[in-house]
Amino acid sequence: MTDSSDTPAASGQATTDDVHARLAYERSARPRQYFAARRAASPVDQGLDADQCTLLRRPDVEHALRNWQDYSSDFGGIMGSEEPIIPLNVDPPAHVRYRRLLDPYFAPRKVAELQPAVQRHATDLVDGFVDRGSCDLSAELAVPLPCSTFLSLLGLPLDELDDLVRWKDIMIRPDHVTADPDEALRLQAETAMEIYGRFTAEVTDRRARPRDDLITYLTRAEIDGERLTDSELVRICFLLLAAGLDTVTISLECIFAFLLEHDDARRMVVDEPGSEVDLVEEVLRVETPVQGVLRRTTRDIELGEGVVLPEGATVAIGLASANVDPDGLPGADRVDVRRRDMRNLAFGGGPHRCLGSHLARMELRTVVRTWHDRIPRYSLAPGAEVVWNSSGLRGVDHLPLVWPGGGPA
Amino acid sequence: MRLEIDAERCPGHGRCWDLAPLLVAGDDLGRGVARGEGTVPPEQEATARAARACPERTVVVHG
Repeated sequence: MTDSSDTPAASGQATTDDVHARLAYERSARPRQYFAARRAASPVDQGLDADQCTLLRRPDVEHALRNWQDYSSDFGGIMGSEEPIIPLNVDPPAHVRYRRLLDPYFAPRKVAELQPAVQRHATDLVDGFVDRGSCDLSAELAVPLPCSTFLSLLGLPLDELDDLVRWKDIMIRPDHVTADPDEALRLQAETAMEIYGRFTAEVTDRRARPRDDLITYLTRAEIDGERLTDSELVRICFLLLAAGLDTVTISLECIFAFLLEHDDARRMVVDEPGSEVDLVEEVLRVETPVQGVLRRTTRDIELGEGVVLPEGATVAIGLASANVDPDGLPGADRVDVRRRDMRNLAFGGGPHRCLGSHLARMELRTVVRTWHDRIPRYSLAPGAEVVWNSSGLRGVDHLPLVWPGGGPA
Repeated sequence: MRLEIDAERCPGHGRCWDLAPLLVAGDDLGRGVARGEGTVPPEQEATARAARACPERTVVVHG
């Protein structure tokens, strides 16, 4: 956040930019309070973007997630991709055929096969800093862990990790790379081309030299007796890159930020092996790292209280708000890491239910367990603050932690 | 008590068989399938109720 003395806000006249920045920070730093206030006022949040609103109430959100006819995902490419990415920006019935192909590869049984590799990566990363007594949780664990998982999944060498981190930063947070919005768009499009080129080379390689990995599986897969085209294959890989890296990173940041604030939860994880399952579930629900998912309306939709979404509107389905909305689900606004019976929309729902939800859960549980077995007591580094990123993909870019038993800092 | 899953509407969150492994199995797509025609033994009744945490509300418990 900018110092208010540098801005016109100091004179008592807040600019639109100031209000926008303050709201964006509130939404990402204190989402439960932010959304509770918004939800009480209206079925939609118009606060942050003129050309996009967010559905806030649980009944509307649950309905929109299932109703792909009215809330379409087919609105072109995102994150610099010219073509729709698959299966994210495809509607049924084509979407159903892609998911039938992909779901088995991301089902729990398949995910369990990847667990030893994730366990190894998590252990290696923690080994790298445990004796030091300090680390930046974000940079040293939350960012590299999902990247190494992605490389294992696609059968790419681990030394490509730096490229991956650069790619996903430009795809998802181009504003962190450059302050100029036009330059950000140009950079995003250029990076998308680079990524497509890289994946096309991998696809060609797997056709010639099949291996036991996802790309090989996809080159052999058929829909109605027809093989996938190169374009389809690389657009699926693009999705995995776009959706599988940053989401797990910010989820880990949300979980550790939560644990710093909830010592009873930290102790539960340390004392009760297996309790990381319930912890991860409740934190994903009440902190909801991916705050919303985008759709485009295919007709005028009345939401009540005089609010109408016009046809062709871009709408975010507010997962973060609905997850803690007690309307129709008493107690949803309370935090309780021991409860197991609360409906969780952190991975969306309906036909577009997060393809990687089982993989993400496995990664998060593995990291939380590995960390707490090795580093049971830890705290925020002296003088450090938890600064949220003001993004709808809410995370903490730097989370410096310290713990006893390490060598000199 | 009986537990029922609406397979048509299940997109495979996997919460039901994560929460109630003795009552629900997961298929190759990760969708929940009720074991033993959905019959819930008395000692599993609380678990069956927890499985209603299905985000799609496709898990229904009777009795």
